Amino acid sequence: MPPDPDRILSDFIDAWNAGRRPDADDYVGRAGEPDRAPLASDIVAFLAFAPTPEYDDAALEAIRAEPAVVAGAAATHAPGGLWPSLLPQLRGRAALSTGELAAALVGALGLSRDSEAKTRDYLDRLEAGALEPRGLSGRLLDGLARLLAVPRSVLDGAAAFGAAPAPALFRAEGPRADELRDDLDVLADALAAPAGGGWDEVDELFRGGDR
Amino acid sequence: MANEPDHLLLQRYHVAREQGRDEDAARIWERLAENNFDRITQICRAFRYTGGTGLPPTETGSAATEAYLRVVAMGRSFREREVGQFRAAVYRTVHNACLDYGRKELRHQRRAAGSLDDRYEPDGEAGPYDAALARYEAGRRTEVREALEDEARRRQAEGLARWGIAQVRNDNYRAVLELTHLEKLDAAAIAERLGISLDNVYQRRRRGLTQLEKILRAPRS
Repeated sequence: MPPDPDRILSDFIDAWNAGRRPDADDYVGRAGEPDRAPLASDIVAFLAFAPTPEYDDAALEAIRAEPAVVAGAAATHAPGGLWPSLLPQLRGRAALSTGELAAALVGALGLSRDSEAKTRDYLDRLEAGALEPRGLSGRLLDGLARLLAVPRSVLDGAAAFGAAPAPALFRAEGPRADELRDDLDVLADALAAPAGGGWDEVDELFRGGDR
Repeated sequence: MANEPDHLLLQRYHVAREQGRDEDAARIWERLAENNFDRITQICRAFRYTGGTGLPPTETGSAATEAYLRVVAMGRSFREREVGQFRAAVYRTVHNACLDYGRKELRHQRRAAGSLDDRYEPDGEAGPYDAALARYEAGRRTEVREALEDEARRRQAEGLARWGIAQVRNDNYRAVLELTHLEKLDAAAIAERLGISLDNVYQRRRRGLTQLEKILRAPRS
């Protein structure tokens, strides 16, 4: 005869509070079939506001070795932010390859059909962490949110985690500094401006930011 | 060295953001997310649709990974200052990720057995605990003194859960919930403290949790 579900729930709570990292599937599986769904709901009700356990070093080490945690930690420091972890995850859920997502984006945003390859290339770079997330336009994020069925706020959060590029150091004094400063201003304007003939609507989507 | 408590991390996160130390804030948020990794994972595992079915076992790990990454993304602009509010936001995020993962399955079930009660707007911000959070906030605002001292902050850290437990009318259930959530006593210690049997503790815990859940999910009145 399976144990009383009240006791199973209580055992789960004790294991949780003690930092023993109980597995909900294991505890739900201990109950008889008719009791499993209500027991699972009770466990969720407890977990929603359960105190966070005081984990020991071994438990913390194990948590930090979990792939999702490793990916989250990498996002804090990497220039690509959360995108290299999140985008493949969202594509996987939507059962879309990068090529299919590119094609869907082209359709959803009304881009010209010949921009599909370039869009795919940008998506590949985004997943590889080779694209500065701050350059992603709001229009692109809206389109991705719709196609991947995810709140826009999640994508906004993913974009913001990339580490800022290191500032360039400028050291000079006197008249030479004034000359250099003028030159640097011209260079900075040139870098910030869209490139000439090669810059198109796809570049604007992925690198234009909210301009 | 044990993990730093959630309420301290949340406090430090806000200080870092207010001081413009965004990289520090991101690192502190990372610690907060780590502390809650098990909560996120286990909610995904125990998640059930209204009909009683859970996520397909092959999808649970992916759902938990996505939910965790969404919680990390929350750190960009999280404004709430209390752990109870943080936990409500985590729950809402995980719940939505589970619904998203079950969407394919849901479509199948809708076709097979009619509609399901769970609804989800991808850009919706509403969560099941919003009404309780609003009532809790209203109650807090009526307090004459703001809790600025450290000790008061510590006591308020579990605010929403503490507030909800205080609303549980049955004295017996409330006592067991307080010892479970606030003092983290195990069943044997609670039985000894209250002079009741273990079976009584099990029963009161479950019934108390059911009442707490109703209170925290009650619609705004």
